Amino acid sequence: MVGALAVVTSVIGAAPAVMVLGAPFVVLACFGLLHRPDSSPSVRAMLDHRWLHEGQGTTSRLVLDEDDDVEHVARLMAPTPYIALHPPTGLAAGLTHAPPTIEIGPRRWGRRALGEEQVCLTAPWAGYRWGPVRLPGETLRVLPQTRRFDSRADTPRPVGLVGVNRSPRLGAGVEFADIRPFRPGDRLRRISWRVSVRSRELHVTTSPAEEDSGVLLVVDALGDHGSSDGLDGTASSLDQGVRAAAAVAEHHIRTGDRVGLRVVGGDGGLLGYGAGTRHLRCLLDVLAGVRAGELPRGVVDRLQLRVTGGSVVFVFSPMLGQAIVTATASLVQRGLPVVVVDTLPPGVSPMVPDGVDPRLAELAWRMRKLERDQVLAGLAALGCPVIAWRGAGTLDDVLRRLSRRRGVPQVVAR
Amino acid sequence: MKLLSRETPARFVLRGVVLVAPVLAMLAARPDDGPSGWFLALTVVLSIGFAAMPESALGTMCLGLVVFWWMLAADDGVPVGAVPAALLLLAAHVASVLLSYGPARLPVGVELLRRWLRRAAGVGVAAPLVWLVALAVDGRPEPPGIWVSGLVCAVVVCIVAAVAVTVREEQP
Repeated sequence: MVGALAVVTSVIGAAPAVMVLGAPFVVLACFGLLHRPDSSPSVRAMLDHRWLHEGQGTTSRLVLDEDDDVEHVARLMAPTPYIALHPPTGLAAGLTHAPPTIEIGPRRWGRRALGEEQVCLTAPWAGYRWGPVRLPGETLRVLPQTRRFDSRADTPRPVGLVGVNRSPRLGAGVEFADIRPFRPGDRLRRISWRVSVRSRELHVTTSPAEEDSGVLLVVDALGDHGSSDGLDGTASSLDQGVRAAAAVAEHHIRTGDRVGLRVVGGDGGLLGYGAGTRHLRCLLDVLAGVRAGELPRGVVDRLQLRVTGGSVVFVFSPMLGQAIVTATASLVQRGLPVVVVDTLPPGVSPMVPDGVDPRLAELAWRMRKLERDQVLAGLAALGCPVIAWRGAGTLDDVLRRLSRRRGVPQVVAR
Repeated sequence: MKLLSRETPARFVLRGVVLVAPVLAMLAARPDDGPSGWFLALTVVLSIGFAAMPESALGTMCLGLVVFWWMLAADDGVPVGAVPAALLLLAAHVASVLLSYGPARLPVGVELLRRWLRRAAGVGVAAPLVWLVALAVDGRPEPPGIWVSGLVCAVVVCIVAAVAVTVREEQP
């Protein structure tokens, strides 16, 4: 435009100096026209990974087709909650031989939809521009972090045929249990020759059988209390519950136990007992999809966790919902080993709706916490340990105590 | 101020070039042909708008105003100041192009910057060349109708270019 203006004004005004001013612009315009695109490029974004754990990262790349006439690519990704971007502005640009990439790091579990992108392509000499084109955000499945838990304690009530937990029954394990006189049916390789020679009577060594156990994880999604700032910030009750359940699930799956999952509240979620890496992946996927929400009115009064006998039950809950409290107490009264992991963050305070006196809300919350303390004390009185989640080793002491208690006769309410 | 605080140093420098270069190009005329205060003030205002919104029509208006001033100031002769003025206008244009590659706060890539510096150096050669040609023919008697012929020629070139572009657009 400036070049044309300079040419016209120099001719009209008979001013050759103006032609000097316009000459570079005319050359620029000519080069721009020469590089006019012949094709219509297409662009799409692609993620290196769609399944990630919290704290892991992946890269979003642009795939360009028909990009012969494209020289420069600029992209802008809209910010998304709990998704860290690099560059932090979500802006990246580069020439086509090295298209710009954006690194993505989810900071919270869940199914996360990345922000919409705008991509702008420019032809050589900046004569033509394509876009900005809107690209829909990709969906990412963010699995909860699991590496913070490791327990050395046995699971209290193993029931299966194979596994690594010490069974209450003697069997064909490798750990030493006792030495006793030989009985018909004992295997000859079990004979302890040293003791037999010394006592002049055949003796055999015995060992406990090694069995797997059933572990049921119950996640309370009836509400999400407290604020969530992602992996490195404060955690809400649902954050703590999901992460703790994921950690316990991974631990027991890795030790060969069968693990089931029941999500109470929200969209629900039920996964039967299973073992192995594939089952762990299913478990983590269900956990990643947990959403907070109330139960339907009819279900609240008759909530049943459908626990099979011989399982150990972990309930991850802030214990603020009547339904989950009742269901947990029922399991304890059935004589099942139940462990309640308290997921209510310390110092949490409720959100005060508009038009409500904050002092009134604070008072109500204090009363609610007092009721909750009574509930937890009642569960403890029934023999159900209630512990706060502290990461690795949280459950060791509790599981050992439950294991010691497994041989003691118990009164079971039916 | 919020916009400026988010700018990277490279973009800040480019905006400075866009702001200053048109004014300097106007002042590059001979001292006795200096622009009037109103003209200069208008250019400064347009330059500020051009620097803030490099993709807007303010850029064309700003550079066009400088060209128009040069038409008024140098209607006779070919002053040597036209060459630095042309290079300053080119610098303002290239800086605005670099700023327009994406949304605000987009960092300017080093490779792209180098590429455009090379292009500007190549294109900028046209200014002294045209100045030399103008100097060579300056003072010689003009053939009758030379300027009208030149204008007609320029119009024909523009029409041919427009037709060529249109034909390429219609091709599948």
